[in-house]
Amino acid sequence: MTHKWAMVIDLDRCTGCEACVVACHAENNIGNAGPDQAARGRAMHWIRVERYWEGEFPNARIRFQPVLCQQCDDAPCEPVCPTFASYHTPEGLNAQVYNRCIGTRFCANACPYEVRFLNFFNPQWEKPLHLQLNPDVSVRSVGIMEKCTFCVQRIRAAEIQAESEKRGLKDGEFNPACVQSCAPQAMVFGDLNDPNSEVSRLARSNRSTKLLAELGTKPNVNYLQRDSWQNGKNG
Amino acid sequence: MKALYALYSDPDAAQRAVNFLKTARGSLGIGQRQIVVVTGEPFDGYDFSDEHSRTHIFLLASIGGIVGAILGYLLTRFTQLSYPLNTGGMPIVTSWTNGIIIYEMTMLGAIIWTLVTLLVTARLPQFGKSISDPAIWQGKILVGVTDPPDQARTELEQRLRHAGASEVKSIA
Amino acid sequence: MEKTAEQIRGDLLRPLFHSGAGYWMAVGLTGGMVLAGIFAFSYQVYHGLGVWGLNWPVFWAFDITNFVFWIGISHAGTLISAILRLANAGWRRPVTRCAEAITVFALSIGAIIPICHLGRPWLFYWLVPYPSERHIWPNFRSPLLWDFFAILTYLTGSTIFLFLPIIPDAAAARDLAHGWRKKIYGFLSLGWQGNPRQWHRLESAMHVMAIAIIPVAVSVHTIVSWDFAMTPVPMWHSTIFGPYFVCGAIFSGVAALILAMAFLRKFLHLEEYLEPIHFDHLGKLLLTMSLLWFYFTFAERLTTWYGNGVSEMNVFWSSIRQNFAPLFWTMITCNLIIPFPLLAIKRFRTITGTVIASATIVAGMWIERFLIIVPALEHKFLPYSWGSYRPTWVEITLMVAGFGMMGLLYLLFSKVVPMISMWELEAGIRKGPLVRRRAATFEPGVATANSGLAEPQSFATDVSR
Repeated sequence: MTHKWAMVIDLDRCTGCEACVVACHAENNIGNAGPDQAARGRAMHWIRVERYWEGEFPNARIRFQPVLCQQCDDAPCEPVCPTFASYHTPEGLNAQVYNRCIGTRFCANACPYEVRFLNFFNPQWEKPLHLQLNPDVSVRSVGIMEKCTFCVQRIRAAEIQAESEKRGLKDGEFNPACVQSCAPQAMVFGDLNDPNSEVSRLARSNRSTKLLAELGTKPNVNYLQRDSWQNGKNG
Repeated sequence: MKALYALYSDPDAAQRAVNFLKTARGSLGIGQRQIVVVTGEPFDGYDFSDEHSRTHIFLLASIGGIVGAILGYLLTRFTQLSYPLNTGGMPIVTSWTNGIIIYEMTMLGAIIWTLVTLLVTARLPQFGKSISDPAIWQGKILVGVTDPPDQARTELEQRLRHAGASEVKSIA
Repeated sequence: MEKTAEQIRGDLLRPLFHSGAGYWMAVGLTGGMVLAGIFAFSYQVYHGLGVWGLNWPVFWAFDITNFVFWIGISHAGTLISAILRLANAGWRRPVTRCAEAITVFALSIGAIIPICHLGRPWLFYWLVPYPSERHIWPNFRSPLLWDFFAILTYLTGSTIFLFLPIIPDAAAARDLAHGWRKKIYGFLSLGWQGNPRQWHRLESAMHVMAIAIIPVAVSVHTIVSWDFAMTPVPMWHSTIFGPYFVCGAIFSGVAALILAMAFLRKFLHLEEYLEPIHFDHLGKLLLTMSLLWFYFTFAERLTTWYGNGVSEMNVFWSSIRQNFAPLFWTMITCNLIIPFPLLAIKRFRTITGTVIASATIVAGMWIERFLIIVPALEHKFLPYSWGSYRPTWVEITLMVAGFGMMGLLYLLFSKVVPMISMWELEAGIRKGPLVRRRAATFEPGVATANSGLAEPQSFATDVSR
């Protein structure tokens, strides 16, 4: 049976440590923008931890929300790409085909979660970071859009391994880099088509919400939170 | 190419000249196609200029449009089925958006077919010799005969002048 | 004083055969602007899009503003030429070719911009549906593909629409020129003779083109507006965008036309051809479009404000009260407040008045496109993703180069082809007495006079000029 990859992020566990951001950079060969370019808004954090303050001192609360590509079922970034560089795979991922991208940036404008990034220059890595590039992931050149792929290279590697061993994939057998590096284990990744997987179980929880669900994008990342600032409860 | 022609300032005079040429065709030995009228602007409302006024252009442009529409339909539908890629949960063949492409191809077809029709029926480009005179650009109307038979020349010249020509000229 | 056909042709063909020093200076200036743009573009291709001011989240700014701006300007020709031809408004005759030329050149510039704004511009041809051994194909669901087809159709149509009436004028130039010019015009005129068959075919083809080009023009700017409306971005995802943009396009197009006409009138000494009455009529049209534009703007903003959607209101206040407030209120001043008295009050609706109004409108409409694009991208749904934008010298140079290219193409065109359609002007003048006769048939009790002549009464009064 085909898989449908999804992720669950428990906001009540997230500490905002941003280990996921660093792991993602390392795993996916994301270029370093450098301090000047980052100040100009050119940093490419495929996953970012959004931080919001609620209330005034001494009753201020901080909320962390890791935002990454939601791999939407009805992704607004897909129909607008003129070259099919952004399309939906049969396993439910929104794929970004680097070779096909000519950099119209329409997908980035259409994405409500703002999770798509452009390579404004050819990516650079300050020595000795150039030695730690992941050979499983391509390096993108200038003018190409990129975003979170749910570490599709790890998904494919696990699928190929399982196929060669003539078995199915086990739940939790592999994880994207962000999930793997999460210290409080706030992130869970798995197959929604498997009703017994951890991801399916948690997605059915009564704490499960989706980001910007009202837009009709049908995202595949579920956020677990006891109370949400939208319904005004304080936990 | 030999020719004999007269220039008229007044369209009514030109009409008289053309009427004469048409009625006296047989006796002078000139064919219908040898009678030529050349103007520097369109003269609507006179018989001499109304001769080729039925054009069928709307029918032809519509046919061009239909051909364009069919091509647009084939282009979009069959290529979408050949490369079935899911984007944004939309159907593989999105009829409404294909309609936009089909619409543009329809208009393009109509436009190009109109141009082709014009070039073919007005016989453009035509770089061979044809009667003309710079005076037509001063508002004169040229009425003439190509390859007039020699024996009819003097009579032609006389009658053209009699109709009210400001000048009568000949080529070769 | 009435002009003879010979005088008309002399006046209008003179610029083709004589050029002053001022002309060459203007060509040098605009050519320099274009060269600066080519340099800036090469710099951009070499270093990458980072040399622009774009960032996360503002991925479109000056580039798409200029694109929409030039496509908008290109609606001038269509309105004037096609609609007035179909309405048989006689005062259009000296104006049609200037307008059609603006359309073709503005559209060409507008068509180049999407190629220049790509991250990988050398691969722009992947938008073309061509058979490829790599089995790759463009996505017809994307508004950018609709742009491609729409602009292709409109460019083809308007080039043909411009070129067809040029054929007889090129023939006139051929007959009145000597040497190498005679050869060039001989080629350009396609051997045109001027017999009734050719005139009827030409006029019927132009009639069909006039009918066909109007829906194409409407569709082009609607499709350009859907580059924005088809995304869920707050204040972009609005159903009003189609008609709003078409109205804005016609508005800026007529303003650009008035500017071009004033320019030609002064520098080609066409005072007796482009007269105050033409500017008066175009000024009234511009006033109508100004009010219509304001109606659409007001309707869109009122609906947004009334709905009070969280994300939309962030964008809304950003334009009206916060960062973009100076630009927004400048736009309202330029598009409505200054032009309204200049165009509504007859005493001010002179050539100078309409030119001032048009200049402010062109600037205001550029600002309008900028304000549609950037505030919305700066304030999307998640506040953490808000950003800001500032242009760099590369983008400003490219924008200036666009204006330079327009000027250069127009200058070169005015040397090759008479800027007023001589045969149409002639035909209109000659129709004068017939028009008066026909006008009399509108009176009750008078028997119908002749057939096939339908000039409106307004032209009958202009014929004596």
